[in-house]
Amino acid sequence: MEKTDYVIIIDPNKCAGCHGCEMACSVRHFGKNGTFYSRIRIQEFRDICTFIPVTCQACEEAPCIKVCPMGARKRIENGAVITNEEACIGCQACIYACPLGAPVMNPDTGKTMTCDQCLGCEDGPACARACTMQGALKYVPKYQASKDKARKFAWVLKDEFKPQDESSVNQYAGKEFGA
Amino acid sequence: MHGWMGQRLRVDLTNNKVEIEKLSPEYYRKWLGARGYNSEVVYHETWEGMDPFDPANPLCFAAGPLVGTLAPLSGRTTVSARSPITCSERSTDTHGHGDTNMGGSFGPVMKYAGYDQIVVKGKAEKPVYLWIDDDKIEIRDASKFWGMGVKEGTKKIMKELGDDPDIRVAIIGPAGENLVRFACVVNSFSSTGGRTGMGAVMGSKNLKAIAIRGSKPITIAKPEEFEKASWVLRNKLHESPSAIRRRDEGSMDLFDAGNAGGLNAHRNCSTGFMPDLEKYYAGYLWSEKYQFRNKACWSCPVACGRYTYIKEGKYAGFHCSGPEMESVCNLGPRIDTYDVPAVNVMCGLVNELGMDSISAGAALSWTMECFEKGYLTKEDTGGLDLRFGDAETSMKVLEQIARRETEFTRILGEGNIRAAETLGVGMDIVPHCRGLEHISVDPRIAMGLSLGYAVSTRGSDHLRPYCTIEMAGAATKRKYQIEQIYEDEPELLEEFWKDFPKEMWTLKTKPTLITWTEKNKMVADCVGCCCQAIGSWGGAGTWSEAYSPLFRLITGADDMTDEKIWIACERIVDIERAHWNREGSARQDDHHIDRYYDEAILEGPYKGVQINREDWEWALDEYYRKHGWDKNGFISDEKAKEMDIPEIIPDMAHGRKIYEDTVKK
Repeated sequence: MEKTDYVIIIDPNKCAGCHGCEMACSVRHFGKNGTFYSRIRIQEFRDICTFIPVTCQACEEAPCIKVCPMGARKRIENGAVITNEEACIGCQACIYACPLGAPVMNPDTGKTMTCDQCLGCEDGPACARACTMQGALKYVPKYQASKDKARKFAWVLKDEFKPQDESSVNQYAGKEFGA
Repeated sequence: MHGWMGQRLRVDLTNNKVEIEKLSPEYYRKWLGARGYNSEVVYHETWEGMDPFDPANPLCFAAGPLVGTLAPLSGRTTVSARSPITCSERSTDTHGHGDTNMGGSFGPVMKYAGYDQIVVKGKAEKPVYLWIDDDKIEIRDASKFWGMGVKEGTKKIMKELGDDPDIRVAIIGPAGENLVRFACVVNSFSSTGGRTGMGAVMGSKNLKAIAIRGSKPITIAKPEEFEKASWVLRNKLHESPSAIRRRDEGSMDLFDAGNAGGLNAHRNCSTGFMPDLEKYYAGYLWSEKYQFRNKACWSCPVACGRYTYIKEGKYAGFHCSGPEMESVCNLGPRIDTYDVPAVNVMCGLVNELGMDSISAGAALSWTMECFEKGYLTKEDTGGLDLRFGDAETSMKVLEQIARRETEFTRILGEGNIRAAETLGVGMDIVPHCRGLEHISVDPRIAMGLSLGYAVSTRGSDHLRPYCTIEMAGAATKRKYQIEQIYEDEPELLEEFWKDFPKEMWTLKTKPTLITWTEKNKMVADCVGCCCQAIGSWGGAGTWSEAYSPLFRLITGADDMTDEKIWIACERIVDIERAHWNREGSARQDDHHIDRYYDEAILEGPYKGVQINREDWEWALDEYYRKHGWDKNGFISDEKAKEMDIPEIIPDMAHGRKIYEDTVKK
């Protein structure tokens, strides 16, 4: 399977707010630890224990690509959308065009940066790896992107549809045919 | 400088002054990390007989070199000062070293702001809070926040500062403001530094909170190797069944096994076994019924923290952070209640009021036992009738203690030992060492634990010499570690296994064990990592094995070999001990209350176990010898020179004199 077929999926329900993904991202890309060097950011609502990880979702119809006046936003071979720092002028158009507010400023250069899904790293994106135990971030094939959520929804419904007695297992039981 | 931020922030609230002090690489090598710098400052900037509420008492917040990094479990902050609750046997007016360790995210952000340590001294005229935004530091008025609970106060302060979630607030609740001697400091809404009353010290300075925001990175000396080593540790956690269980059940996973092992101090520690406990308190039950979501400290993949919602019953709709096993145990089995939702509410309440759940539970259970034994009656307590199992009244009492509403609860807020002294009753049923009530584990059940409680440098405490390895399960799982500990003493190694698992109840092998484990734990405290996991879960070895290489990779201090780190740890133990020695507190305080020597455990699997006095004295001799201290437990002059802390020598002479004058007579 091609790597372009993979996406990072987010389940905020599972995020415990440890910021491990931010540490993993900043260390891998910059060799230093710091929230502001990370391309993924946890949005905290700590008083109600709710945490939403926000990162570039590499939209199919990416508004940042369209809006960038310098053509600096580009799609790379694993499907991620990144900023070409050489072309970028730091105008922040991608930040305000992005529906999620996912692009962030590189504190050293003043140009934007977004998730490159750790292109070239064998073990996949560092953030998802750091989240192995909680599973709020996962790196999965595209065809499975909605699987977890759908399963969760189905889990609630399953009692409605599970076999109650013989008649519900065989919908034809007790019926006369050919009459 | 890598890993270390190179700066200490000094704040003088009396004179409204702020000063940034640069720290040298030599200083860092000498004092290693969080607990190291704190203990050093607290020793050198206090004096014998100082009142902990004296404005000069330095309140220190520190984070170690690994804090705020990719290294797993690296979110710990140490808060230290001279403690208002601890005391020597001589008098409750003596005080000693106090520190407490908290999770959450205050330490990491403090480092992002560029500081390894914040030292607050002086006393503001009116309530203030400190606002640190990288290099911009402001002392701001907090009158409008005074009296607020932790959650409300944190929210309002964040709102005043622009509602930025990147701001972290360490705050005190009403208990700290009212100088309840076991008040705690709470950061990030619910991560508490509970023990030894650091919240009261903060309150005595009229300092409601410290709000902090930082934007600097923590650099790494060898980034690639550091990343690789961090992943190795993280992977071990990801794969560890015990870590996964901790994730699913929280620290409550210890409950049923603990009870079966007689570890839960039931009824004010008179026994360690609560019948049917597992039907009410088991970790998986708790998760099923009450858990809303996991809550993690910084960079911790395990996330043993909980957030609780009560869905039905009397307390339906109540939600709070926690609870954690120790809080539940002290506010549940210790006061003999099976009313689990009420215990849940109490855990939330002590957090909100800013009190140490252990000491608060101890205060309740002590009052209850006093009632039961007839030491106290309604007349003594102003009409309050507090009996074992009464969770509802307990809840009211907690609130009254924090707000110091009645005369009796005001006395309870002074801590058990002072309450017993003031009321003149029940001194024999205060389970404590050096004035600090111990956790809910009965010290009679394991001698290493027991010795660890007594010689701990912050009062009775299991986390100082985190000595779980003596217990049957841990010892068999980690044989290699036992071998490492008794490397130089093969006869003790033989002794250890000869009577196994009954060796738990002998003191023979324990001095060696304790001197080793307390330094091992010191490594975790200094680098700033959580003591919970690595060793027992991940199979990554001891804390020193796991963290020492990471420490060298991040700081680039390759000269800090394992031996040198070990020596630095020894030095920090010594400086904390010296704090006590200076007060004349030594051997006389390294004991438990008489109950544990005279009475055996009444129920459960450890029925009949107690501590032998003669063995105890022998063990103390041996423990002092291992440390190179003198026969009374004072740090000898040779040891002080060897540890490069010769400045303590006159203080030791002073302490010895107090000891001679008071104890010998």
